[in-house]
Amino acid sequence: MSGAGRLFPVVWRRLPGRIGLLGLALVVLAAVVAPPFLPSPIEQPDIEHADQSPSAAHPMGTDPLSRDVLARVASGGRVSLAVAALAVALSVTLGALVGVAAGYYGGAVDAVMMRLVDGALAIPRLFLLLLLLALWERIPITAFVLIVGATGWFGTSRLVRAEVLRLREADYVQAARALGSGAGRIMFRHLLPNAAGPLLVAATLGVGEVILLEAGLSFLGLGIQPPTPSWGGMIYDAREVLVTAPWASVFPALAITLTVLSVNLIGDALRDALDTRGA
Amino acid sequence: MRRWLLARSAHALLTLLVSVCVLFFLMRAAPGDPLSRLGGDRPISAAQIRNLRARYGLDQPVTRQFAAFAGGVARGDLGTSIQYSRPVSQLIAERLPATLLLGGTVLLLNFTLGIWLGAWQAIRRGRLADRALEVTSLAFYSVPSFWLAILLATVASIHWHLLPPAGMRDPLLGPDAAWSVRAVDVLRHLVLPALTLSLVSIAATMRYQRAAMIEALGEPFVQTARAKGISERRVLWHHAWRNALFPVITLFGLWLPVLVTGSVFVEAVFAWPGLGGLAASAVGSRDYPLLMGTAVLVSVLVILGGLIADIAYAVLDPRVRQA
Amino acid sequence: MQRTPFLVSVALAALLGCSTRGADGGGAVAGTAVIVVGEQATTPVPVLQSVKGRSADAEVADLLFLRLAQLGPGGRTSGEDGFVPALASSWSRRDSVTLVFELDPRARWQDGVPVTARDVVFTFERARDTTFTPTIAGLLHHIRSVTADGDHRVVIGFDQPYAEQFYDAVFHAPPLPEHLLRGMTQEQMLASEYVKHPVGDGPYRWVRSTPDAITLAAVDSFFLGEPGIQRVVLRVAGDPDARLNLLLTGDADAAAAVVPPEANRDRLAATGAFDLVAVPSTTMGYILFNQRDPAHPARPHPILQDSAVRRALVLALDRASIVRAVFGPDARVPYGPVSPALWIARLTPAPEAQDTAAARALLAGAGWRDTNGDGTLDRGGRPLRLEFIVPSPSKARTQIALQVQEQLRRMGIKLDVMVLEPNVWNTRHNAGQFDLDFASATQDPTPAGLTQSWSCAGGSNVAHYCDPTVDSLMQAAILTRDSAAPIWLAAVRRIERDTPAAFMYAPVGVYAVSKRYASVDIRAESPWIELPHWSVKPGQAIARDRVTAP
Repeated sequence: MSGAGRLFPVVWRRLPGRIGLLGLALVVLAAVVAPPFLPSPIEQPDIEHADQSPSAAHPMGTDPLSRDVLARVASGGRVSLAVAALAVALSVTLGALVGVAAGYYGGAVDAVMMRLVDGALAIPRLFLLLLLLALWERIPITAFVLIVGATGWFGTSRLVRAEVLRLREADYVQAARALGSGAGRIMFRHLLPNAAGPLLVAATLGVGEVILLEAGLSFLGLGIQPPTPSWGGMIYDAREVLVTAPWASVFPALAITLTVLSVNLIGDALRDALDTRGA
Repeated sequence: MRRWLLARSAHALLTLLVSVCVLFFLMRAAPGDPLSRLGGDRPISAAQIRNLRARYGLDQPVTRQFAAFAGGVARGDLGTSIQYSRPVSQLIAERLPATLLLGGTVLLLNFTLGIWLGAWQAIRRGRLADRALEVTSLAFYSVPSFWLAILLATVASIHWHLLPPAGMRDPLLGPDAAWSVRAVDVLRHLVLPALTLSLVSIAATMRYQRAAMIEALGEPFVQTARAKGISERRVLWHHAWRNALFPVITLFGLWLPVLVTGSVFVEAVFAWPGLGGLAASAVGSRDYPLLMGTAVLVSVLVILGGLIADIAYAVLDPRVRQA
Repeated sequence: MQRTPFLVSVALAALLGCSTRGADGGGAVAGTAVIVVGEQATTPVPVLQSVKGRSADAEVADLLFLRLAQLGPGGRTSGEDGFVPALASSWSRRDSVTLVFELDPRARWQDGVPVTARDVVFTFERARDTTFTPTIAGLLHHIRSVTADGDHRVVIGFDQPYAEQFYDAVFHAPPLPEHLLRGMTQEQMLASEYVKHPVGDGPYRWVRSTPDAITLAAVDSFFLGEPGIQRVVLRVAGDPDARLNLLLTGDADAAAAVVPPEANRDRLAATGAFDLVAVPSTTMGYILFNQRDPAHPARPHPILQDSAVRRALVLALDRASIVRAVFGPDARVPYGPVSPALWIARLTPAPEAQDTAAARALLAGAGWRDTNGDGTLDRGGRPLRLEFIVPSPSKARTQIALQVQEQLRRMGIKLDVMVLEPNVWNTRHNAGQFDLDFASATQDPTPAGLTQSWSCAGGSNVAHYCDPTVDSLMQAAILTRDSAAPIWLAAVRRIERDTPAAFMYAPVGVYAVSKRYASVDIRAESPWIELPHWSVKPGQAIARDRVTAP
């Protein structure tokens, strides 16, 4: 926690970082604070008022079941943000650990780990999820996050491993080894921070990926159960009226874009911060 | 060299075995089987369903089913699709060209344009051009691909009448049409799906390349090169960029298998006759032979991707070869 | 570096300018129909078709192959009057269990070989073999023998007299060419060149196929009259947006299921090029009420065993407005389990409209009241709360389910809607693991299929509805020779009154067809089967109509 506490001012000091933090704060606040002040995101007032364009009463219009899009965007953020944050945290951690261990130890450890990763990569993630999630009848949200997170790290581990392979013969790593640093210390103090570049990119891009993945899965009945809204699910629900009632999908899409952009700006600022510390 | 080749082949075999095993047994564990949704309002007796199960070997223990499947693969026989009643190899062969054409084009676009733009962004880091590119590419990255696909088809095909809205070729052009006419026809059909897929995914290549390039620009050897008075252009593109290619090469290896199934939604909206839709329908209807056939193909691409990446590392940095 | 954009724009201009359309072939009007279909036909051969009975295969097979007789415009499957001659030019009845068909001597396979009675016998041998095609063999189980009497006479014997002998004899197993398939096992047939280039005896012949399109051409001097449309291209586009886009750009002439969404009507009307043709659909959707306790399948359901509660659930729903909101004005609320494509649908009365007062009274009469003021009715401490399972890929069903949930919530009935992955849903559906279940059925043209879901021993009766009176009525309707209609109607009325399900929707298939065709006729059981009788209106031919047939 203290680490995060130290990083916050570092990010805030940079303009893009500040924009990112403000953007993310806006999205999170909307999801947490706004829903009680908005119409119900679940109840359908009147089917005759479906697909209405934005107006004073419904600033973002209504969806095909006459529900207020603004209310659904706000409370949809709860699910989408939570799932994205937790699943990405899990997959980046797993990817970093496996990648750094495989790259550092090399040899048999590397061969075994990477063959397993290759094997997992050879199964398209969507299929893996379709089959895994179907094993449960109704999936609790924690299990959902675990499964999405646990199937998302294969590529990250390869990226980290590639960085570590490049770095492990570097002078400062050799020096640390010569000075008698333990394997753990070398991996976590010297190798991982220098692989922060691809890791941060994987994390920040992962947020968008997971939100969209959740959407595809809820469309197939494997994600968040309707009528609970999620951003991705909203876009899929409004698919038939994409051209004729675009507001029902444009606003959740904008929410995803704002989130992904904010997270990437924060990631950039973090990277810069880590860079200056290393120098 | 020979040892390297042997090790490689062993790795390839292991990869294939891991993925095929995981998928095979996961598929059997998942609810439903290829015959569970027969019947409906048509009279079909339990005895008839038993007959069918026997025909597809579904009445055998799972391990024996696996042995039968593995034996088939070894003989080059992937079995017969249950929902399409056609040999799996025929179905895949029919659609592979479309998949390779679309996937190859997107791969090429992403890894030429994406690398170039990412590096260019790193050099102009923090400036307006860098930020503008970041916002644009991420905006595309965060919309669902089918959404962009419908939008592009509506604008480019229906409003502007520029390009065909769906399909891979004009079915009215017979095989007797001139080669050049047919090639242009396929290219016209390729533009929209390739553009959609590139737009929604190019941000990944750009971001990894940008991050790696920023890192490389901060490394001591770049300062050294600058101090030696080497021209800035050479420093950037020869010293820094060469070192910044590592993550992107890995990414390339990871992308190769995505070619086959990464475009299910875009294939659908543009009615592109590729493998993605076929494989997705195989998952949904639990068409075991068809899905396993696709899995074998994807495994081969993973192995190929890993191989290409390793060779590229070795070319870029001889130190890696010992690894 | 600066030259790149220029080169790119030149290449783009070349690409965009090279449209293949617009060139007028200038030849005589041959007529082309480009039809967008949802799925690739991979095995467009009768009897050989996939065990899944894919309609994509059947629709193409119906253009390539002929049945002994064709189902007429009324779709009446009972008796013989509803049929018109096709491969058989005439038929007669020898006794109550024997039909005799005379094949048209002009009929030819598309390789020139005459169609004979031996082809019919050969085909029935395979179709009735339960190891060869279990699904079709099941439909033919009343047929006892099929024999050839000379080259052109076929005698079909049945094990008992019943109303649909003729339908069973002609509908399920159109003849295959013996001379091309003799001696092959089913596996060999499926992998053979024949499946890739089928040779039929119908109005159209196979030209070529790719995964995205199948091209057919009219058979020269076809013995039942040469088709008015010389070339048929079936383009595959599984996605509804892709189908619509192909119509809007003028790349296609016809497509199925263009509505819903309703907005598509205006978009298609704006082109001025299409007529929308509404055809009764063979599909219908209903919400099953489980009559057994899902936790203890031997016991009756604690809430839904009471037919008053079931009726209250149905009366609480404004089915008409729900169906209109999801499917548009053409779809109907069915009466009982009868899809509008069944011939008996014309005889059924209108279903009951919403009546919330009556529903409340029924629930109160059954002891359900909101005693604790939480908004949900309860009885003896147990809330009126039910689990409702819905399969996911059907967005229409999900939307209807959410509206049903909302309307019942207002009545004090709590539904837990669970949208499930289709295989998960199917497993629970088959095992009876639900209170409410959103099922749907695609019906064959015959009402005899109703016994599957609504008789006590029916193979698809997963909700355990059982009324011996209904069973005996349906058996009587199947066995009668001439008065099936009133008996079917009596059975259906009884089912409707017992309310084993809320019969929710019977969508109408909306087809878009180019205005330049004359004599357009689309059939519910196989939409393009009447295509040979379409033609291009004089003076309305466009470029692709003039190209000489392939």
